[in-house]
Amino acid sequence: MKMALSIIGLIAFIYLLAAIPLSITIMDENLSLSIRTISDLVKNYVTGLLNGESFTYQEGKNRTYSYLQDISAYFFTSLRYLLLAGFLSVLIGMLISAWYSKSKREWVKDMIGFLGTIPDFILVIFLQLGVVFIYESTGLRLARVASRSVDENAYLLPLITLTLIPAIYLIRTLSERTYDVLSEDYILTAKAKGLKKRVIYINHVVRNILPFLKADLHKVLAIMMSNLFIVEYLFNIRGLTAMLFGGTMYQYNLIVNTLFALVFLYLMVYWSIRLLILLLERVFAHD
Amino acid sequence: MTNWRLWLGIISTSFILFIAVFGPLFAPYEKDYVEPTGYYYNGPDDFGIHASPYPPSKEHLLGTDQWGYDILTLLLYGAKYTVFVGIGVALIRIIIGGSLGIWFGLSGREKKKTGTIFGLLGSIPTFLIIYFLLIRITINSPLFVIELILLQSFLMVVVGFPGVYAAVFSKTVELKKELYITATKALGAGKLRILWKHIFPHLKGTLLAMFVKEIILVLTLIGQLGIFNLFLGGTILRLGGPPVYISISRDWAGLIGQWRSFIYDYQWILYSPLLAFVLLLFSFYMLSRGIELKQKATLQKYPHI
Repeated sequence: MKMALSIIGLIAFIYLLAAIPLSITIMDENLSLSIRTISDLVKNYVTGLLNGESFTYQEGKNRTYSYLQDISAYFFTSLRYLLLAGFLSVLIGMLISAWYSKSKREWVKDMIGFLGTIPDFILVIFLQLGVVFIYESTGLRLARVASRSVDENAYLLPLITLTLIPAIYLIRTLSERTYDVLSEDYILTAKAKGLKKRVIYINHVVRNILPFLKADLHKVLAIMMSNLFIVEYLFNIRGLTAMLFGGTMYQYNLIVNTLFALVFLYLMVYWSIRLLILLLERVFAHD
Repeated sequence: MTNWRLWLGIISTSFILFIAVFGPLFAPYEKDYVEPTGYYYNGPDDFGIHASPYPPSKEHLLGTDQWGYDILTLLLYGAKYTVFVGIGVALIRIIIGGSLGIWFGLSGREKKKTGTIFGLLGSIPTFLIIYFLLIRITINSPLFVIELILLQSFLMVVVGFPGVYAAVFSKTVELKKELYITATKALGAGKLRILWKHIFPHLKGTLLAMFVKEIILVLTLIGQLGIFNLFLGGTILRLGGPPVYISISRDWAGLIGQWRSFIYDYQWILYSPLLAFVLLLFSFYMLSRGIELKQKATLQKYPHI
């Protein structure tokens, strides 16, 4: 019941959000929002679902394409980046947080933390400037600064950006959890029994961190989705988000469909990482 | 050990605030001054034209942009928008989210499970929501700069305060379980007294730390919108040829957004606002680290291994 309600809420939200740019008018410095336009747009979209018109989009003048046919390439490009970055950041986060929680070196924490506060777009621009600088001074082509075409996607820099930011978030939150777990009584008991540090980590610490990772996953993915927009835009990657900003004309169908595709993308990445966590549980938390 | 991070944060933040308030007084040029393009002739072998963008020099400490505007001047004039909107939006988020969170945390039940809707909404980032709301308003807007900034700030508060609310709510619910709260209740204290005498003093430090972190989040949001050409205070779009987006208020995130394509040539144009923005984030980050460490020293638990 609750599930159904929230799905209906999300659909309504997407319909509304996509309609707002078309229904806002500014006349004589007065902002007005036309409810009528919104309801018309939604009505058109819903009737278009039946005859298939909602699944087309236009490019230029009178060139109509099928959305469902074209979207898969965009979708899988985004999915590829997100999955790779997601897996990497979860693994890096798990590994480093164990060390980070115990470390007394506050300056390393300063560095990692500051890296975490740097927004994605600044990181992207610095990476691009860095690559250009290295190329200009040594002639070495380290990585692609942007994608030139669909076949020549930039991979290294986008993946660095997409991995680093959620990984740092994970390191910071998971290390706090690790710290809490390490001060629990069962760790003291295990220590008193004479278990080795490594054994305590593998058998007691990691398995008690995993639930927190699961709970934090939505937050991590929200960060990654927001990064995806910036990364695809600045590196000129033809992913899903390019559909939102690419066209010169604002098409309601296109925007609504793409937003739904984004939700779908989110769910796919979410469940893939959940599978990874399940795998980790099999290894570390089996009884 | 002195908490040097806190002091560094306080000093650099005050420096930034000083620039935000008094920056225009120190600006070497007028806001609209454009360095003219011209030619020089020193002899038959030494002549040519000089045209913007001018690299950093004695006349233009940080150089000029592609139209000849002095970058240092623009930065000094634009600082107030970035800094004060960042602080103001974060403050209002904390005040609204914090007071609602404490109030409902005290009267509310155990934290209910966060619904799926919240999780699914994560697939649509906050800046995208603001993007759709503002895209028709910000670009070539007939509204005044200050009206537009108020509207943008209002939206940034609306998308941000639920997060603060949720965090404060769960903290309050945790605190409510403490024995001293039960004891005060047993002695007959009212809700307001518990709130003011017991919950709030405990949360004060957390709220302060959250405030500084919110400032960083708001600045990030402003920057992300700037990347998509929605600048604080409005965007001028010039068509005819490749589209050119110009920030009206010259706020720092807007300058980064409008010059972001200068990564191959004339990089000094991009470096200055970028470094200014990073400095801004750095000072608030140091402040938040300082506060965090100060709190950690008072409420520390020790690990067993």
